[in-house]
Amino acid sequence: MVVSGHSNWPEWIYVGVVIALLAYVGAEAWNVERIVEHAPAEAEVIKVIGQQWFWTFERADGTKEVGELHVKKGHPYKFEITAKDVNHAFNIHDYVILQDAIVGRTNAAWFAPDKAGEYTIQCREYCGLLHYNMRATLYVEE
Amino acid sequence: MAKGLVFLSLAILVILPTLQLASGAENEAGQYVQRKVEIWNLFFKMMTIAFTVGAVVSGTLIWLVWRFRESNPKAKPTKYEEKGEW
Amino acid sequence: MVLELQKPRPIWAIMFSTHHTDIGLLYLIMSITFFFLGGALALGIRAELFLPGSQVISDSMTFNRMFTVHGTTLIFLFLLPFASAVGNYFVPIMIRYKDMAYPKLNAVAFWMIPPAGALIWLGFADFTWYATPPYSSIRAPGPAADMWIFGLKILGVSSVLGAINFIVTILKCKHPDLPLSKVPLLAWSFLTSSLIVLVAIPSFAAALVMLLTDRLGVTGFFDPARGGDPIAYQHLFWFTFHPEVYVLVIPAIGMMYEIIPRFSRKPIFSHSSGVFAFVLLSAVSFSSWAHHMYATGMSFTEKTVFMVGTLAAAPASAMHVFNFLATMWGGRLKFTTPMMWSVGGIALFFSAGAGGVANSAMPFDFITHDSYWVVGHFHLFVMGTIAFGSIAYFYYMFPYVTGRMYNEAMGKVHFIMSFVGTVMVFFTQHVLGLYGMPRRVFDYIPLPEYVVMNQIASVGAMIIGASMALWLFNMIYSASKGKEANMDDPWGLGGKYYWPHQAKNPHH
Repeated sequence: MVVSGHSNWPEWIYVGVVIALLAYVGAEAWNVERIVEHAPAEAEVIKVIGQQWFWTFERADGTKEVGELHVKKGHPYKFEITAKDVNHAFNIHDYVILQDAIVGRTNAAWFAPDKAGEYTIQCREYCGLLHYNMRATLYVEE
Repeated sequence: MAKGLVFLSLAILVILPTLQLASGAENEAGQYVQRKVEIWNLFFKMMTIAFTVGAVVSGTLIWLVWRFRESNPKAKPTKYEEKGEW
Repeated sequence: MVLELQKPRPIWAIMFSTHHTDIGLLYLIMSITFFFLGGALALGIRAELFLPGSQVISDSMTFNRMFTVHGTTLIFLFLLPFASAVGNYFVPIMIRYKDMAYPKLNAVAFWMIPPAGALIWLGFADFTWYATPPYSSIRAPGPAADMWIFGLKILGVSSVLGAINFIVTILKCKHPDLPLSKVPLLAWSFLTSSLIVLVAIPSFAAALVMLLTDRLGVTGFFDPARGGDPIAYQHLFWFTFHPEVYVLVIPAIGMMYEIIPRFSRKPIFSHSSGVFAFVLLSAVSFSSWAHHMYATGMSFTEKTVFMVGTLAAAPASAMHVFNFLATMWGGRLKFTTPMMWSVGGIALFFSAGAGGVANSAMPFDFITHDSYWVVGHFHLFVMGTIAFGSIAYFYYMFPYVTGRMYNEAMGKVHFIMSFVGTVMVFFTQHVLGLYGMPRRVFDYIPLPEYVVMNQIASVGAMIIGASMALWLFNMIYSASKGKEANMDDPWGLGGKYYWPHQAKNPHH
């Protein structure tokens, strides 16, 4: 039903262009996700535990760090992220690491830091009174 | 004139993203895939598209507002107004 | 038609009325009251974030309660009831029926909202509008949290009753001479959004009861310590509230469909593509809920499915934008206040949509998720699109409700300030998100970038606040002392449309 007798072809071309752009965005996103998802087999596992309102990092050899994490440059690490009391989200924004820390589940994320320095680790999921201050520091060492 | 503009917009919409696709070359940053590099690249590609489309859409909107405002000297009553059926 | 302020009736005659325009008026006044209450909280939040550290709010818990009630109020007590106000006024007139199908049910649905609003405001809960367990079930302080749950429960029932009423009114009570294909797009928008409500609300209604029993310690649906799953809540929540976004946006688009052709002095470019896009949008609104949950540890396949489902919503929204632009093309546009708000709303709708498409790309979500990007993005929808459309329609219906004209100059200043303020606040917040500032924080690291951008956003918010104060003054002053409106053609456009005062809907 065309109300005023005009043709609708510009609208269909427009919709086609929109769908083509969306398909391109979707395909590109799918590809990037595929590339970044799989952790290399040799990655060292670090267990990340979030609780109100601090982060604990535990390595395979049993050593623990609270509120700070020391890693080596150029070496791959795989985080296994979980929470003890309520949900949190483990975030190193500078390395685009973001995974929810959920009670009773373990989520994974991996990275290989390429630059030495200090980076902020923060909580990105609302977790109560001191959520805003639930931070830790990542030290990437040569 | 109007159709020409439509074609121009479509050309911009189709060609620029294709160029982007062609120039989206690989970036090597060490031996491991750099998550941040891949994802920020995706972001910049998407923003190229978003701002191109945004320029076309908001450009069209601004042109429409300027051209068809009733105070424009070229404004004339629409055919629907003349027939009184709108 | 009601010209309440010209022919005053005692207040109880309006309060206990079941007539659709009276209930529309009640919805209108209540929703705008809550708009100012919720907006005041927003100004408090922005004042606090002007500088790092504690400014005007002494502790983070108060701040957390403020943003929770801010969000809950503006979504459930402003946007939804405002749409109901417009629907109650105009849907029966557009489908040419004397009232809503169930007038008493209509009154019941309205009167459930004030107690629910009171529960939310008196409780002042802190667990965000998203109330995610286990925080909400084991740590959030009561009785605020429980009051919020009861408030939302009541609001959900009210929404469902209102939706049933709209669907029955439109499908069963429309004039026999009026085929469904000719029903105006504003009425179509209420039909489609009401259908979404009916399908979407039950899952959250169930989740709320489960959350309450979890809080009472009777069950452990969402508590991993008792064998529950917190992710289940998130699915139930977003199954309701992603479609709910469309419940909010579709009536606002419908309002713009009423205004844009009117002030372009043309019929709508394509009525059928508007209907098609509404129906398509209401169907695909159910295909994207878990795009809010990419970071909860979803599998690659799940993420892909929900990304595609999210992208599928974009063509329908793009069709609306096309329809608006094509309607304006070749028209003779009169830029009075309602038209300015609508055109501004279209521009911001596009920006919100473009940000949404970018955000649906799953890897990019790991930059933006739960950051200020998200805050900026959805505010471009709720403020930039839905509130802009609603305010446009408020100005549009003002002469019909009051019989007087609002002050045009003040209306235009209101628009310009709000538009500038909206761009300053919400575009800046996108960039803040890219810099990694998390949302829902009382304090932030004193990086110079954070401070500058927060200050731009806070100044923008204050500009919006000032413009809204001007709006309030304009409303009150013009309703009592404004020029009498020319009721046949308040804006001097010519032509004839849905002039509510000509409808013969007597009070009963």
